[in-house]
Amino acid sequence: MTSEILSVSTREAADGVRVLALAGDVDHDSVPRVRDAVEAAWEDGRTRIVLDLTLVTFCDSAGLGLFVEAHRRAGAHGGWFRLAAPGGPVQYVLDATNLAHYLAVHPTVDDALTA
Amino acid sequence: MALEDALWNGLVREILDRSHLWRPEDLAGIVDGAARRLGIGVTIYLVDHEQQFLRPLGVPGRPAQEPVPVDGADGGRAYIAVETVAAGDRWWSPIVNGTDRLGVIAYDLPPGAGGDEDGLVRRCEFVAGLIGHLVTTLNERGDHLRLVQRSRPMTPGAELLWQLLPPLTASVRDFTVAAVLEPSYDVGGDAYDYILDGRRPQFVVLDAAGRRLRAGLAAAVVLAGIRSTRRAGGDLLAQARAADAELLAQFPDARFATAVLAELDLDTGVLRYLNAGHPPPLVLREGKIVETLDGGRRLPLGIAEADPGTAYGEVRLRPGDRLVFYTDGVTEARDGAGEQFGAERLARLVEEQSAGGFPLSEALRRLARAVLDHQDGPPADDLTLLLVEWSAGAALRTVPPTSREDEQVE
Repeated sequence: MTSEILSVSTREAADGVRVLALAGDVDHDSVPRVRDAVEAAWEDGRTRIVLDLTLVTFCDSAGLGLFVEAHRRAGAHGGWFRLAAPGGPVQYVLDATNLAHYLAVHPTVDDALTA
Repeated sequence: MALEDALWNGLVREILDRSHLWRPEDLAGIVDGAARRLGIGVTIYLVDHEQQFLRPLGVPGRPAQEPVPVDGADGGRAYIAVETVAAGDRWWSPIVNGTDRLGVIAYDLPPGAGGDEDGLVRRCEFVAGLIGHLVTTLNERGDHLRLVQRSRPMTPGAELLWQLLPPLTASVRDFTVAAVLEPSYDVGGDAYDYILDGRRPQFVVLDAAGRRLRAGLAAAVVLAGIRSTRRAGGDLLAQARAADAELLAQFPDARFATAVLAELDLDTGVLRYLNAGHPPPLVLREGKIVETLDGGRRLPLGIAEADPGTAYGEVRLRPGDRLVFYTDGVTEARDGAGEQFGAERLARLVEEQSAGGFPLSEALRRLARAVLDHQDGPPADDLTLLLVEWSAGAALRTVPPTSREDEQVE
């Protein structure tokens, strides 16, 4: 299987929210890159994070594991970790694993920022 | 006739007498030596993990035999159908431990020995059944027999996992369960479990996130939690909660597992189940998928101790129904063009296989082969299939024919 190379771009939204926009496949091999970006946000004191999934084409259990871990950690420190704009394949795994209601999932980045 | 019986009894006695002090590598030579007194040559073949070749145990002083393919050879036919195949003076009998297919025995008979054919088949299958039990106990004594069953080395993750699992096939009077797990030598996070006690058998299929040994460790934690609670009398809900708690305690980094836990009441036909974020099992009736079990949903195991979901799914099965449990490695297997195997193709193949009249374990072997053939290159994920058939006929098909009569009288 050829996987799309994952890229992560970082930007600051209003109120000190960190937005991480991913593009490509989130899987066992690429998930460390996402983890690094989340860690960097934490080190910068950003405990409110939006993960923009608009351009994510695939997500496996390693990706889901990271989402759960980041969601828990943010919750424990008074912040939040929100998923935004999952496309069909990502929404499918979120639904199939019953995680859509556990994780904070929003239809758009704007929704995630203003929720 | 009486003389024949005495000779075969002597053969069995000699094998059992020698079984107390033997080493794994002694098995083949001792059985062959004992059979030589009846003028019969014996070669024991064990099936490899991928169930493609029957691999011979070496006998001291005899030239090495070649492996026998499961598909397209006399020995393979005995393995596939769980019955004796006579090919001239060479007869092949299936080796099962209970109903778990371990391999075949080749009997090289003296010319004309097939006179009392029924009696001879019975004796051949009887000795093969004994060997099945002995192979299983000998496997605990050393590595020799395990190595014969391998076409290549196993990863640590696979070593861990196979030690955790019950046999691939088990039957009781009115139902049978069969499983298959791939890639055999490199599995990590998929696992299954079942118990056949009493009137309420239970089944579990699970898929722990991650890969290899790390995933295997999570699968081990889930199985340990489930079994401990089950054996203390806990129901499926309590078992799932125990798995939640143990995973959360052992893996703070969110190493969750998806799973289905199910319990079948053989008196009412009611199947209760929990689905922890896992692909929904299918119900096959008279060769058609009639239901997708999409109830009983809760969070994957190991996500949260609070409110993971507590509602059971429930469906009433009919005698003869087949249940199909699977992990996403089956439906997400991709071919060269990236096309997924998919739930529909799985359903269609299960329907086709049910018409074949094979033992359930064999239908499952063929299903797994179809998925692996679809796959372009080595599997990207573990794949597990577990089938349950609620029927006495299905149970009998997993038993060698000459033992079936006794079963039915009961």
